Amino acid sequence: MRARVNTLLSQFRALFGQRHAEVEFNQEMQAHLEMLVDKYELEGLSPADALRAAQRQFGNTTLLQQRQREARTTMFFANVWRDVRYGMRQLSKTPVFTGVCVLTLALGVGANTAVFSVMHAVLMKMLPVKDSSHVFYLHTTGWPDGASQTGDSSTSFSYPVYRALRDESGLQEVVAFIPMSFSGKAPVRVGAVPEEAAGDMVSGNYFTGLGVGTELGRGFVVKDEDDHTPVTVISDRFWAKHFQRSRDVLGKPLYIKGVPFAVVGVAAKGFEGTEGRLPLDFWIPLQCRPEFNAWGNPAEDGMYLIQQNFWCMKLMVRAAPGASRGQALARAQTVFDRAAYVGVAPKKAGGETYKISLMDAKQFDSQDDSFSRTLKTLMAMVSLILLIAMSNVVMLLLARNASRQREFSVRLALGAGRRELARQLMTESLLLVTMGGVAAWLLAMVATHALALWAQIGSDLQPDRTVLLFTLGLLLLLALVFGFAPLRSAMASSPEMTLRSSATVSQATQETMRTANAIIVGQIAMCVVLLVGAGLLLGTLRNLLHTPLGQKPEGVLVFGVHPQHMHGKAESIAFYVALQRRLRAIPGVESVSMAGNRPGSGWSNNNSGLLVDGHKPNGTEPGQAEFRGNSVGADFFRTMGVRVIQGRDFVDADTASAPKALVINETFAKQYLGTVDAVGHILSDPDKRESGTVVGVVQDHKYTGITEEARPMIWNDFQQVGPQSELQFEVRVHGKPLAILPAVQKAVSQIDPDMPMLDPQAQSAVFEQSISQQALFARLAGCFGLLAVLLIATGLYGTLAYRVSRRRAEIGVRMALGAQRSQVVWMVLRGSLLLCAAGVVLGVPLAMAAAKGVESSLYGVKALDLASYVVAIVGIGVALLASAIPAGQAASVNPTSALRME
Amino acid sequence: MAAERSELLQGTLDLLVLKTLQALGPLHGFGIARRIEQLSQDVLTLNEGTVYTSLLRLQQKCWIASEWGVSENNRRARFYSITKRGTKQLALETENWERIAAVIGRVLALEAKS
Repeated sequence: MRARVNTLLSQFRALFGQRHAEVEFNQEMQAHLEMLVDKYELEGLSPADALRAAQRQFGNTTLLQQRQREARTTMFFANVWRDVRYGMRQLSKTPVFTGVCVLTLALGVGANTAVFSVMHAVLMKMLPVKDSSHVFYLHTTGWPDGASQTGDSSTSFSYPVYRALRDESGLQEVVAFIPMSFSGKAPVRVGAVPEEAAGDMVSGNYFTGLGVGTELGRGFVVKDEDDHTPVTVISDRFWAKHFQRSRDVLGKPLYIKGVPFAVVGVAAKGFEGTEGRLPLDFWIPLQCRPEFNAWGNPAEDGMYLIQQNFWCMKLMVRAAPGASRGQALARAQTVFDRAAYVGVAPKKAGGETYKISLMDAKQFDSQDDSFSRTLKTLMAMVSLILLIAMSNVVMLLLARNASRQREFSVRLALGAGRRELARQLMTESLLLVTMGGVAAWLLAMVATHALALWAQIGSDLQPDRTVLLFTLGLLLLLALVFGFAPLRSAMASSPEMTLRSSATVSQATQETMRTANAIIVGQIAMCVVLLVGAGLLLGTLRNLLHTPLGQKPEGVLVFGVHPQHMHGKAESIAFYVALQRRLRAIPGVESVSMAGNRPGSGWSNNNSGLLVDGHKPNGTEPGQAEFRGNSVGADFFRTMGVRVIQGRDFVDADTASAPKALVINETFAKQYLGTVDAVGHILSDPDKRESGTVVGVVQDHKYTGITEEARPMIWNDFQQVGPQSELQFEVRVHGKPLAILPAVQKAVSQIDPDMPMLDPQAQSAVFEQSISQQALFARLAGCFGLLAVLLIATGLYGTLAYRVSRRRAEIGVRMALGAQRSQVVWMVLRGSLLLCAAGVVLGVPLAMAAAKGVESSLYGVKALDLASYVVAIVGIGVALLASAIPAGQAASVNPTSALRME
Repeated sequence: MAAERSELLQGTLDLLVLKTLQALGPLHGFGIARRIEQLSQDVLTLNEGTVYTSLLRLQQKCWIASEWGVSENNRRARFYSITKRGTKQLALETENWERIAAVIGRVLALEAKS
C-alpha cells in the first residue's frame, strides 16, 4: 500500500520535471552504452563491432525511453493535466465570460462564507473547553426583593448562591467569573504606559473546571481563590502583544489597577474567556482588596464577598458525568431556592419562584434575539444571492456550450468519446469553481473581518474548519451543478451536426430556452424579495438616523475616568472636581461635565419607587412608579446641549453638603406630577429615606440610545449620591471634539500619570454606535439588493445576447420580408419584459411574506411599505435596461449578410 | 544455446537488483547489469536496458535511492543504493521467494501416481 502511494506520489512529482528527467535518463543510457563499448573493445572487438554488440546487448533505446516516460508519470495525470490545460485555453479564449463567472461565484460564495462564519461563531460555536456538552452557563429568571444586582440580570448571582451551588448541588464544577468593570476593562500596565485591558476575576477552579489548558505555566488552583493570591493568567494574544511570546514572562508583574499581579500562566491559544464579544486579556483569582470589588463597584457599596445581597457573579457549571441535564438542573434548583434568600428577607408566601436554567456553553452566551434574527435574515439574503449567482453561471454555461455545439460535433466526428467530452466539461466547470472559490475565500476573509468590526465583536471570527467545510461543500455542489447542467445539451451533439446549418439547430433548443426562461423568472422573483427587504431596512436606517435626539452631541468629547487609590467618597469627589476645573481651563473648551452612565452607550440606572411631596405620584402606586436615572456633574445639560424648560441646570454649588437637587424630564413631570411646572416639588423614595427638590425640568431627549422611547427620568448630582468609582467626562469644545484629545490627555496625566482615559469617543459616535447593528444590517441588505440587480442584469444581457445571435438568420429573413427595426426591437424586448413581469408577479407575494418575517427589525416602517415595493420594481426595471443592448444589436442585423452567413 | 538460456520470470528482476545493491553497495546501472550477468552465468537473457525500468520502479517505491557520481573510468554516472525500506522489503521478498520456490520444487518433484 505504502509502496503504491509512494509510486503515485513520485509519478505526480514527475509531472513537473518531465523534460529534465528525460535528459538525465538519456545521459545515463549513453554512459552505460559507452561503458559496454569499452568492455567489448577490451575483449578485442573492433570499435564498430563493439558498438553493434553493445547496442544489441542493451536493447532498443527508443522503446526504453518511451517505456521510462510512461512509467515515470501516469497517463491519468497526463490526461488530467491535458484536460486542465485545454480547459484553461478554452476559458482564456473567452475572458469576459470567465471573468464574469469567477466574479459572480466569488461574490456569491464569498458573501455566504462571510455571513456563515459570523453566524457560526456567534450562534453555534462552542467554547473551546473540554467536553463542552457538559458545560453550561447558568441563568436565572429573577432575584429576590432586597437584592441589588448588576443590570446583567439573567446572569447575576450572589456569593452565597455560588458557595451553596459549589458545595451542595452535586454539580461537578461551579465556576464563577466577574468582569473587572461595566465595560469589562480595567487599567493595566505592563511597562511604563498605562492602558486598558479586559479581564475577569474568577474562581480558583476556572481553568480546571472548564477544562482549559495553558500554553505556558499554570492555571489557578482553589488555594488562589481562598487566599486571593495576586497572580494572573494572561491570554495568548496578550502574551504575544506585550511579551512577544517570551517564555520568561512567568513571574513578571502585570499591574492591574496599580496592584502588581505575578504572571503565572498563559491560557491555551484560542481561549479568550467566557464573555462573548469581549475577548479577555487576563484573569485573576477572586480578590478581596477594596479596589477589586465586583464590576469595579466602589467598596463603600459593600464588597461582593461580604455583601450577601449583591448579585454580581456570573456562573458556569459542569454537570457530573452520567447526570442528565435535567437531573443536574433539578438538584441545583433546590439549592438555589434556599441560597437565593441568604442575606435578604425570606421568600413571601405566594411570591414568585425564580427559575434557573442551563444554557449551552456557546462562544457567545445566548445572544439577544435581535442579533441572532439579524444574522439569520442576512444568511437568508446571501443564500438568495447565491441562488441567483448560481443560476446566472448555469445560464451562461448553457449559452456558451450551446454555441460550442459545432466544436463538440467536430470533436465527436474526430473520434472523441462522449466520456472524454463529459470529462472535459467537468474539468472546465471545476476550473471555474476553483478560481471562483479561491477568490471567494479571500473575499470572505476580508468581509468577515469587516463584519466583526462593524458588529463590534472583538473575538476571533475568522473562518475556521467548519466554515471551510461549509464553503468546500458549497463549491462542490456548484461544481456538480455547473458540470452536469450543460452536459445534456452538449451530449445531444452528434457528429453529423457539423453538416447542418445553425439555423435549423436553433429550432432544437426550444427546451433549453424554456429552462432558461424559468430560471430567469425565478431569479427576478428572488431579486424582488431582496430589493423589498433592502428597501425596508434602509427605510428603517433612514428613520433611525433622522430621529431627533433632543440634544446636540456634535462637538462633545466623552471619555471615562477611573481614579485609583481613592480613600472614601470625599477624596474621589475632590478628584473629579479638580479634573473638571483643569479641563475647563483648556483653551477651546466650552464646558465640562460628567455622568455616571455614558449617554448613548445603553447603560442606565433603572429605579422604581417614588413619592411626590410625600404623596402618590399622580395616581400611580408609589412602588409601580418606574424611572431611569443618571448621576451627573455641574453644567451637564449645557454641555450636552439639552434645553432646560424650567428652572436650572446643575451648578458647582450643588455639592455634597448642599440641599439635594434633582432635575427631571418632561415625561417625568407630566406622568408623575401632571404638569411641567415641577420646580420646587420634593421627590422621595417610598420610605422617605432619601429625598430631593426638583430644581429643573429639561426637554425629553435620548438617553440609552437612538431607538429609546421617551421615559420618565431623574438626574441627580453625583456629589449628592453614593460614591462613584468611575465617571464619564463630557467636554464640549469649539471645533472637532477629537482634536482636543491630546490637550485633555495632558491635563489628565498631570493629575495622575497612571490613569488611562477610558474609551475616548466623540459623543455623536456613541449615539451612532447605538444603532450600528441596524445600520450594518441595512447597509448590507442594500449592498445585497444592488448585487442582485447587477447579477440579474448580467444574466438577462447574457441570455438575450446569446438568443439574438442564434436568431440572426431568422431576424435577417424577417427584415428581408419587410419587418421594421422597431418591430424587431419589440420582438426581443417583449420576451424579457414578459419574463420580468412574471418574475415580479411571483416575487411580490414572496416579498410580502418575507417582510412579515423581518417586521420586528423595522423601525417606523411597515412590512407593506409601498415605497419599498415600488423601489424593488424600479430596480427590476433597471436590470431590464440590460436587455436593450441585445435588442439594439438585433435591430442592426443586416439581412443580406445574415442570410449569406447561412 | 537458445535452449540453455531462460527468460527472466516476471518481477524477479527487481528482486535481483535489490539483492545486488544490498550485497555490493552503491552501483551504477552498468555495474548492476554486469553483476547480474556474472552471477547468472549466462543462463538468463537480459536486455540491459530493462535494468533501468526496474531501477525506476524501485525508486518510485522508495526502495532505492540514487545520486550522480563519477564511475571508476571517470564517467558521470548515476549511482543507486538500497534504502532502509528497501532492505526490509528485500528480506520479505526473499522469504517469499524461498517459500514459493520450495512449494514449486515439491510440486515438480511429485512422482505421478496413477
